[in-house]
Amino acid sequence: MMYFSEAMRVLLANPVRTFLTVIGLIIGVTAVVAIQTLGHSMAGAISETLDVMADNSFMVFLGGVQPDYTKSAIHLTDLTDIQATVPNVASATPMGGTNDLARHGHNVGRFSLTSDTNPPFNNAPLAFGRRINDDDVSNGTDVMVISWQAYKRLFPKGGDPTGQSIYFGSHRYVLIGVLEKPRQGLLNSQFGGDLTIPYTTFLREYNRDGRFGMARFIVTDPSTMKATEAAVIRRIHELRHVGSNVQYQTFDKATLTNGINGIFTGVTLVVGLIGAVSLLVAGIGVMNIMLVSINERTREIGTRKAIGARRGQILLQFFIESAVLSSIGCYIGMGIGLLIGGFVNTFFIVKLTGYTATLPYMQAFVTTTIFAAIVTLAFGTYPAFRAAGLNPIEALRYE
Amino acid sequence: MNNGTHAIQLRAITKTYKNGSLEVPVLHGIDADVAHGEYVAVMGPSGSGKSTLMNIIGCLDRPTGGNYVLDGEDVSHLNDNQLAEIRLKKLGFVFQGFNLLARTDAAKNVALPLFYAGVGTRERQRRAMAVLEEVGLTDRAKHKPNELSGGQQQRVAIARALINDPAVLLADEPTGNLDTKTSADIMELFDKLHESGRTIIMVTHDENVARRARRVIRILDGLIVADEPASLIKA
Repeated sequence: MMYFSEAMRVLLANPVRTFLTVIGLIIGVTAVVAIQTLGHSMAGAISETLDVMADNSFMVFLGGVQPDYTKSAIHLTDLTDIQATVPNVASATPMGGTNDLARHGHNVGRFSLTSDTNPPFNNAPLAFGRRINDDDVSNGTDVMVISWQAYKRLFPKGGDPTGQSIYFGSHRYVLIGVLEKPRQGLLNSQFGGDLTIPYTTFLREYNRDGRFGMARFIVTDPSTMKATEAAVIRRIHELRHVGSNVQYQTFDKATLTNGINGIFTGVTLVVGLIGAVSLLVAGIGVMNIMLVSINERTREIGTRKAIGARRGQILLQFFIESAVLSSIGCYIGMGIGLLIGGFVNTFFIVKLTGYTATLPYMQAFVTTTIFAAIVTLAFGTYPAFRAAGLNPIEALRYE
Repeated sequence: MNNGTHAIQLRAITKTYKNGSLEVPVLHGIDADVAHGEYVAVMGPSGSGKSTLMNIIGCLDRPTGGNYVLDGEDVSHLNDNQLAEIRLKKLGFVFQGFNLLARTDAAKNVALPLFYAGVGTRERQRRAMAVLEEVGLTDRAKHKPNELSGGQQQRVAIARALINDPAVLLADEPTGNLDTKTSADIMELFDKLHESGRTIIMVTHDENVARRARRVIRILDGLIVADEPASLIKA
């Protein structure tokens, strides 16, 4: 296409000027694409991390400083009541934890122990054995599921450890399962404690008064979970006879996901603002250089018109020149942005989360193309009209 | 006299420039006919209206009054795009300063009008080579303007003016930027083009150049003061 090759010829005839003109676009698009890429990876990593949490459960915990823990703590009887009276609650189990030394043979480590039930709080897959089942819960058996870290510490020789004994403090448990090694990184650190036992066993051994700071609820219909959460909170207030000064907070996957999405929306807005400002600045640069170029080529435009170029043809030529100029800047920026995004993704996000994100090439391409189009339309149109509107007689006379 | 035999018919052409409320009359009523195949020199001192007349003949400007029929078509009242179309199809321009596109080879420069006419790449190339041959520059087709001498550049410009097979070839001081020897070569080329039947109108202030034409029109203060065969010019 001749308009295109003409534009390339003109722009490459003055490479330094072309480069300086597009550098603003390069920086702007680089920033936007890099942040877009990182946002994409981070969102993917976090959403995958949250997948181990079940969709149909939420937690309630006692928030803030409590004047009277004995009074405001959730009692086991509250949970029985809620399970019976609040609709949509399939199960209500307390969550408690403690720390002590765990020992297998000569191998000892200090670990946290949490109570759990079936279905489990942490959906992470198993490396060995089985999870806590309903029989374990109803009978309060002395069984234990341990994390991969605990397994490495207590069973340094490896092998299937199920059926072996573990002492936690002075109490003996039978090991029934080991969770798979979690992905490396901060975000994927273990959900829950390293050692989990049935909550019934926990009640008997570590929590005889039946008071908890936290409880877990499983719902039948996850779509009305928010309403169920509110109903549960109301019921706890009633049962505890406490006023609104005592706060019980809820926590579920949807809330967490929304919170994270909110952060990314904020980031996107900031990126959009950076993009808009850089577009404006870079676009003015493009317009400026196009006007200079048209001024320098006044005689050329006069010649083109004299030999029969129509107004629209001159318009198109300079419009395409602006488009090529903008596109050069924007697509170079896209390339650098993806490189930076890919680099950070490989060396930081994967290291941090273990999540291998695919780079959002298509998204970056669409963003970049929109950028280029906006710059061209907003800042290339006026120079093109100016060139097309030149009077051929005056243009030919121009020195 | 009928339209069919005339390349150009000017009837009572006037041109008045408006500068705010000030009206500056430049042409006061020009009547002239140029037959197909004529070779005419237009002469006149600066400020005589010669350039204005050439702009009107070249369809770069419209007359304020009067009628201009170019190659059988009344072009007095066309709009800008229609005039561009006429320039593209019926006129060829040769400028004093060549006005070639820099960094663009001779063949592409020559083919430029065909691009605006919507002719395909291959056909443009073929026809560009044909006119370059006509001006004797086949071997310079791939050279860029800065690799060509002034005379060669003007030949490329002439080839560009010829590529659309125009009804009239307009040359504005075509030898103004050239030395004597090169000027002579270019004038020989114009002679050759005239012999092959081209209609040529040339603006010049050089009597020696004007003498090469077959007819000389002299303009003064916006009027034709003389219209005579070139053979009457004294050496």
